[in-house]
Amino acid sequence: MKRAAMSTSRFLRRFWRGLREWCGDAAYETYLRSKSTRSGSHRTLTPAEFYVEQLNRRYSRPNRCC
Amino acid sequence: MKRIFSITAWIAVAVLGAGALGSIALHRGEPLNATWFVVAAVCCYLVAYRLYSAFVAAKILALDDTRATPSERHDDGRDFVPTNKWVLFGHHFAAIAGPGPLVGPTLAAQFGYLPGTLWLIAGAAFAGCVQDFVILFCSIRRDGKSVGQMAREEVSERGGFIAQLAVLAIMTILLAVIGLVVVNALKSSPWATFTLAMTVPIALLLGLYLRFVRPGRVLEASVMGVSLVLFVVVAGQWVADSPSWARAFTLTGVALAFVIIAYGFAASALPVWLLLAPRDYLSAFIKAGAIFSLAAGILFVRPQVLMPPLTRFIDGTGPVFAGKIFPFCFITIACGAISGFHSLISSGTTPKMILRESHARFIGFGAMLLESFVGVMAMVAACAMPPGVYFAINSPPSIVGVSGRAAASTISSWGYPLQAQTMTDLAHKVGEITLWNRAGGAPSLAVGMAQIFSGTIGGERLLSIWYHFAIMFEALFILTVLDAGTRVGRFMIQDLGGRVWKPFGRTGWMPGILLSSAVIVALWGYFLYQGVVDPLGGINSLWPLFGISNQLLAAVALVVATTILMKMGRLRWIWVTLLPMAWLVTITMTASYQKIFDANPRIGFLAYAKVLAVQIAAGKIPAEQIAETHRLIFNQRLDAAVTGVLAAMILVLILEALVHWYAILSCRKESVLHESPYIATRWAANFSGVAHGDD
Repeated sequence: MKRAAMSTSRFLRRFWRGLREWCGDAAYETYLRSKSTRSGSHRTLTPAEFYVEQLNRRYSRPNRCC
Repeated sequence: MKRIFSITAWIAVAVLGAGALGSIALHRGEPLNATWFVVAAVCCYLVAYRLYSAFVAAKILALDDTRATPSERHDDGRDFVPTNKWVLFGHHFAAIAGPGPLVGPTLAAQFGYLPGTLWLIAGAAFAGCVQDFVILFCSIRRDGKSVGQMAREEVSERGGFIAQLAVLAIMTILLAVIGLVVVNALKSSPWATFTLAMTVPIALLLGLYLRFVRPGRVLEASVMGVSLVLFVVVAGQWVADSPSWARAFTLTGVALAFVIIAYGFAASALPVWLLLAPRDYLSAFIKAGAIFSLAAGILFVRPQVLMPPLTRFIDGTGPVFAGKIFPFCFITIACGAISGFHSLISSGTTPKMILRESHARFIGFGAMLLESFVGVMAMVAACAMPPGVYFAINSPPSIVGVSGRAAASTISSWGYPLQAQTMTDLAHKVGEITLWNRAGGAPSLAVGMAQIFSGTIGGERLLSIWYHFAIMFEALFILTVLDAGTRVGRFMIQDLGGRVWKPFGRTGWMPGILLSSAVIVALWGYFLYQGVVDPLGGINSLWPLFGISNQLLAAVALVVATTILMKMGRLRWIWVTLLPMAWLVTITMTASYQKIFDANPRIGFLAYAKVLAVQIAAGKIPAEQIAETHRLIFNQRLDAAVTGVLAAMILVLILEALVHWYAILSCRKESVLHESPYIATRWAANFSGVAHGDD
C-alpha cells in the first residue's frame, strides 16, 4: 500500500514537472540551469526579458503545422 | 521464454490488426462499429512502430547514443535545451497536429470511409512517419539545420531555393484555406462568432498578465484563460438568444473573411507576447483536451459508422470536391498520412531539444503515428452521422439546390435519404440557424464530435454546448496556425525583400513590419476572398491546391532524405524514402494535370474559366453579374497558373536530384556528407533532461 502510494506520488511529481516543461512554465528555470547561463559568459536575463526574448525567437520560424 | 512470449504477443497484435482491417475493408450491409477502426489503427501502428521503425533506426540510420546531440553541444537554455523524451514528444506532437488531420479526412469521407482510412494508416506507416523520422535524424546530425538549408548543402543551391519557395507557397495557400474553413464554420452563427471573438480579449488579457504581472507563468495563466474560454462557449448561447446581440454577431462569409484578414494583420504586426503567444497557449491546452476527449468518447460511445465503405462519388462526381479517388483522396488527406509541413518542424525546434539520437524514433515516427490516429478519429466522427446529413452540410447550393427541400431531394436521389426537416431539427438542436452549405469540414466534424461527446456526457440536452465547444476548438487552433503562419510569412517576405533593399530586412523596423505583414496578408487574403465568393464552395479549388503544395514540400524533404541516405552508403535501403517520394510525385503531378487541364469544369480550372467565358459570350450571364464572372474567370486562370508553377517546381527538383544522384553514383562528383563531426556524449546513461531534475 505504502509502495503504491509512493509510486503514485512519484508519477504525479514527474507528470507535473513534465506538464510545466511542456507548456513553457518551467522555461526560465531551465534557462537558469543551462550550461551557458551557469558558465557566466553572458548577462543573465530577468524573467520578463527572457520571456519576451524566447517568444520572439520561437514565433519567427514555423512552429505550428497545418 | 521471454522471447517466445514477446514473439507470440506481437503475432497476436498483428493478427488482431489484420482481422480488424479485413472487417473494415470487407464489411458490407449493416453499419460497422467504430471500435473496429480503433483496433485496426492501433494494431497497425504498434506493428509499424515495433518492426518498421526499428528496422529504419537500426539498419538505415544506425542511431548512435554515444554521439552528443545538438542540445548537449550547444546547451544555451534557449534554442538548444536537453529535453525529456516524453516532454519533447508532447512538444513535437503539439507542433505537428494542426487542423489538417481533422479537416482532410472529414472531406475525404465523401468517397466512403474505406479509402481515407486505408490511406491514413498505410500512408502514415510507410511515408509520413518515415519522412518525419529521417528528416529529424538528418537535422540532428547537422546541428538542427532546416530542410531548406539541408537541401542547399546536400542536393544543390537550386534545390534549397525551391524548398524556400515551396514553404512560401504552402504558407500562402494553407493560410487561405484554413481561413476559409473558419469562415464556413462561423458564417450565420452568432454563437460561434461571439465565442471566437471573445478569445481575442481573453488572449490579450493573458498576454498582459504574462508580460507584466507574472512573467512566464504560463500554466496559471492558461488555467485562467481556458476557464474563461469555456465560460464564453456557454455565454454564446445567451448572445444567440438575444435578437439584438445575435444580429451584431451574425456575419456573412465576405464580412468574416475581412475580419479574419484584419486579425491576421494585427497578430503579425503586434508584439508577439500580446496576442499570438497567449492564444497559442490557450489553443495548446484546448487541443490536447479535445483530442483526448474525442478518443475517450469514441471508445465509450462506440458509435456505428453509417457511411458506406465506398460511395458513388468514387467516380469523381463528389459534391464536396470533384475528382476520383486517385489522386484526390491522397491530396485531400495530406496531414494524417504524410505532410511536407512536418519536415519544417522535424528540422526546426525538435532536433535542437532532443537528448539522444535514439529518441528520434519515438518522437519522429511515434508522434506521426499519433497524428494519423487523430485523422482516423476525425474520419470516424464524420462517418458516424447519416450520410445524407454529411452531404447536406458539406455540399454547395450550386450542386444540391438553394432551398432545403431541393437539396434534400437531390441528396436523397443519390441514395442517401434525407428530409429537409431533419436538417432543420439538427440545426435547432445544435443551436445554429442553418447547417446547409457549410463546406470546409469543420461544421460536419463538430456535429460528429458533438454527437460523440453528448453520448458520453449530457445527452441531447448538451448537444448545442458540445457543438459550439467543438467549433471553438477547431476555430481556435486554426486561427493559431493562421496568426503564427502569417508572422513566419512576414519574416520570409522581409528576408526576401531585405536582399533587394537592406532596411526592409530589419525585423524590428516598423515600416518594414507593417509592409511585409500587409504583403503576406494580401497574398493569402486574396485566395481566401476568392474561395468565399466561389459558387462551387471554394474548398473545391483551394483544398487540392493546398494538398498539392503540401505534398510538394514532402517531395522536397524526401529528395533531401534520399540524397543523404545515398551519401551515407545506404543504397540498398534507398527505397525506404525513394518509394514514398515516387508516390508523392505521381499523385501530385496527376492532380496538378487534372486540376489544370481536365475537361470537367468542376475539376479543371481552365475548363471552368472557358465555360464561364462561353456563357458571357452567349449572353447567358445577367449584366450585373458580368464583372463578377470576369473576376471568377481570372481566379480560375490564376489557380491554374499557381498549380502549374507548383508542378514545375516539382519537375525541376526531381531533375536536379536525378542529375545529382547520377553524378554521385557514377563517381563524377565526390559524395560529401555535411554532418557535424562526431563528439562523444558526456551524459550518463540515465540522464533525462536538465529541467527534469537531472543535471
